[in-house]
Amino acid sequence: MSCELNKKERSGVINPIFTCQPAGAQYASIGIEDCIGIVHGGQGCVMFVRLLFAQHFKDNFLLASSSLHEDAAVLGGVHRVEKAVDVLLMRYPDVKVVPIISTCSTEIIGDDIDGVVRKLNNGLLKEKYADREIHLIPIHTPSFKGSMIEGYDVAVRDFVKAFAKKEEPNGKINLITGWVNPGDVTALKHLLSEMDVDATVLFEIESFVSPLMPDGEAVSHGSTTIEDMKSTANAIGTIALNRYEGGQAANYLEKEFEVPAVIGPTPIGIRNTDAFLANIKKMTGKSIPQSLVRERGIAIDTMTNLIHMFFADKKVAIYGNPDLVIGLAEFCLDLEMKPVLLLLGDDNKKYSKDPRIIELQEKVEYDMEIVQNADLWDLESRIKNKEIDLDLIMGHSKGRFTSIDNDIPMLRVGFPVYDRAGYYRHPILGYAGAIWLVEEMANVLFTDMEYKKNKEWILNVW
Amino acid sequence: MPYHEFKCSECIPERKKHAVVKGEGEDLTSCLPLGYLNTIPGTISERGCAFCGAKHVIGTPMKDVIHLCHGPVGCTYDTWQTKRYISDNDNFQFKYTFATDMKEKDIVFGAEKLLKKNIIDAFKTFPEIKRMSVYQTCASALIGDDIDAIAKEVMGEMPDVDIFVCNSPGFAGPSQSGGHHLINIAWVNQKVGTFEPKITSDYVMNYVGEYNIQGDQEVMVDYFKRMGIQVLSTFTGNGSYDELRGMHKAQLNVLECARSAEYICNELRVRYGTPRMDIDGFGFKPLSESLLKVGLFFGLEKEAQAIIDEEIARWKPEFDWYARRLKGVKVCLWPGGSKLWHWAHVIHDEMGVDVVSLYTKFGHQGDMEKGIARCADGALAIDDPNELEGIEAMKELKPDIILTGVRPGEVAKKMRVQYLNAHAYHNGPYKGFEGWVRFARDIYNAVYSPIHQLSGLDISKDEIDTDNRFMTRQMISDVKIDKEEAAISDEREYTGDYDCVTKLRGKKYPKLEKGDISVG
Repeated sequence: MSCELNKKERSGVINPIFTCQPAGAQYASIGIEDCIGIVHGGQGCVMFVRLLFAQHFKDNFLLASSSLHEDAAVLGGVHRVEKAVDVLLMRYPDVKVVPIISTCSTEIIGDDIDGVVRKLNNGLLKEKYADREIHLIPIHTPSFKGSMIEGYDVAVRDFVKAFAKKEEPNGKINLITGWVNPGDVTALKHLLSEMDVDATVLFEIESFVSPLMPDGEAVSHGSTTIEDMKSTANAIGTIALNRYEGGQAANYLEKEFEVPAVIGPTPIGIRNTDAFLANIKKMTGKSIPQSLVRERGIAIDTMTNLIHMFFADKKVAIYGNPDLVIGLAEFCLDLEMKPVLLLLGDDNKKYSKDPRIIELQEKVEYDMEIVQNADLWDLESRIKNKEIDLDLIMGHSKGRFTSIDNDIPMLRVGFPVYDRAGYYRHPILGYAGAIWLVEEMANVLFTDMEYKKNKEWILNVW
Repeated sequence: MPYHEFKCSECIPERKKHAVVKGEGEDLTSCLPLGYLNTIPGTISERGCAFCGAKHVIGTPMKDVIHLCHGPVGCTYDTWQTKRYISDNDNFQFKYTFATDMKEKDIVFGAEKLLKKNIIDAFKTFPEIKRMSVYQTCASALIGDDIDAIAKEVMGEMPDVDIFVCNSPGFAGPSQSGGHHLINIAWVNQKVGTFEPKITSDYVMNYVGEYNIQGDQEVMVDYFKRMGIQVLSTFTGNGSYDELRGMHKAQLNVLECARSAEYICNELRVRYGTPRMDIDGFGFKPLSESLLKVGLFFGLEKEAQAIIDEEIARWKPEFDWYARRLKGVKVCLWPGGSKLWHWAHVIHDEMGVDVVSLYTKFGHQGDMEKGIARCADGALAIDDPNELEGIEAMKELKPDIILTGVRPGEVAKKMRVQYLNAHAYHNGPYKGFEGWVRFARDIYNAVYSPIHQLSGLDISKDEIDTDNRFMTRQMISDVKIDKEEAAISDEREYTGDYDCVTKLRGKKYPKLEKGDISVG
């Protein structure tokens, strides 16, 4: 009985868990106010990522393409970036931040996006846009390295690098959320506000949820400002919730500006949220108020109603972003469940040294498997070959048919979720997130019991 | 010249000739925008890439095939589960997607070995599937991997499998349209004529340029089969790989989406002498004419007419109920390519809506020719529109609804313009007689949505109506109709099922049960 860390043996990928790096950089870009990224590559690298965001948020997000066509692919395409920057700036007068995001094709042909940024800074921006504040930021995200996770991590680091500037201490903490939903940011800010802590949040994405207004003018876009990013150098400390999505930026701020960094844990579940609050307390000297004791109590009350009767020993498979998967697994253990299969969708070499994974390997008393570089066939084939017998799957919508075709209930969690309504609105982080997670898990299991007529009568008196 | 210059695009003179207004009495010589030119970088155009045009639009609807992309994982992930091309084999084609997952070392040292291992592993993983399409991507094209050679090698070693190779990297052309062309020609070059299909009717056709969006193909094929025609293959919605290898045996190629699939029809005409017949599956009149045209070719006019009569008797009263209420609704017809001309006139003629604008993301000038020729005077036609132009056009034209894709639909939503998915449909299928009712019903539901009416109310300024507790769609729509006339008509609301496609599967067609008549 043990927890094994394995790598997928099969070559290639069947039903990928992640898309490639540029998508991560694009997700980071839309979190910044007055920012429109230019993806230097084929048009599909933008069009499909925008579609993915639209599928998840049911809203439109702005990103541009350098529209690499055949001639540029053969002869080099930096002139397409020059043109794209000019066209974008002419037509979007409010734009201040323009990340230039590379892709596989433009990295292979060796287009020098750093060089073109220097050229534009010394040329076009001085000549034509002298009266405007404009920041061009090259971000290298070759699609053949890492995954969307690394792309996000690299982009957050590069944005911070581009803007962070030592000035007077600002008395705030930096909160780098990682790849989360607007509902999570709301839940995190609530915790900070109860602790009376002021934070610079990377990124302020609550405004991804935008209204349909009578004047028809609202748009969905993040609201982290250049000032916010500048001031990250002057914080009391940085808390990066996710090791793999924002960890590099936290490390950079520590190294460059001596802003102490605490990386993790992702505040999923009671224990991790407790740790998050303890870290804030330590960093700021602020105490944890009664209001949070009470809130935590409500979460624990909610769980107590459910755990022993419905969750104990339920076998779970979890896939998605690594910090999310690990955090959910830890929470499931506290809920008396048995996460038996964790799928991490890329080949990040750091996984085997991740203390959280080592801890699982050392302490779990039943059979658990963690697969690196996994795909969704790693899940489906184990189900079909009866290597695992699952009560619940947790993961994003791309795995929906694994759940549907194998009659295993699934709680949608992570990114993207496009086959359930409004999930981006709800938190999975903090005590509020813990409540939402357990109640949704329970409701998914209940619906499945009724659908399969599997002791559905037990709910008569619960 | 009636070119329309968008204020937002005054600073990019290259855009000047990409939009026109069809003036009264003007013909195509004076109002045809430029088309299918390279995209201007940074405009936030809606175009996709040639890889997705080949793989996602045309390749993947083929149902009994392992679809493997040779490249980094993103191209595969991004073109997976974003369309509604269903199939009658439980949707294998969109449930499973395959990538070689090329990494940095593969870029440096080449990835042909990786590809070969992937092909073999994929066939091993799905032993019941013996057919595969391998798609090149930007990355594998640029490093120069010889996919054709690897495919041949594997086919030599595994005689029971067959592999199709599509070399259409993302950068091959201004839009997805480049990929349509490449995959058409690749299929006819590599696969047509390599399989001898069973012929079970005296009347044999291919159905081309039809992608079975929400079941369109199955609805149309049902009509053809009822006429007694064997549909040898469909290129490519719900299509089977081996059937498509036997395309050369058909007597006629019936072409639906000429934008994406005219190339293969033209090649089949040159190489095998098979005539091409363009049809329209949308709208009672065009569809009736199309079925009659096909009937005429085979000498099956009576059979065609019988189906038309039956279907129109069944569905016309339901269609009319909606058409009566859609008169004068302003529509922006903003699809990808061919629906621009499939719908331009017929939604006006039959539903009574006014097409105030049409655009095409990836269409060519030929598509605009057809669209502008068919649409009413005054319509604004835009080639390769970008986000700001779309917004400017909506502000100016104030349409009631736009027919477009998911993401531009979200832009419209925020501007209080209702949207209907022109690519994947809301509650389709939209082809066929019943489908046409469903289309009208979906437009009706969007335009007369009570919540949509509420969205314009500014509670901080406007007077709030405290008397009415609810509105129904009909309370809103029927204000402008002649109620007495409506009351005595035989019109009724749609009565079909939520799923009108699955029941067609496994249906028997006595006229087609002759057995293989090509033998002996």
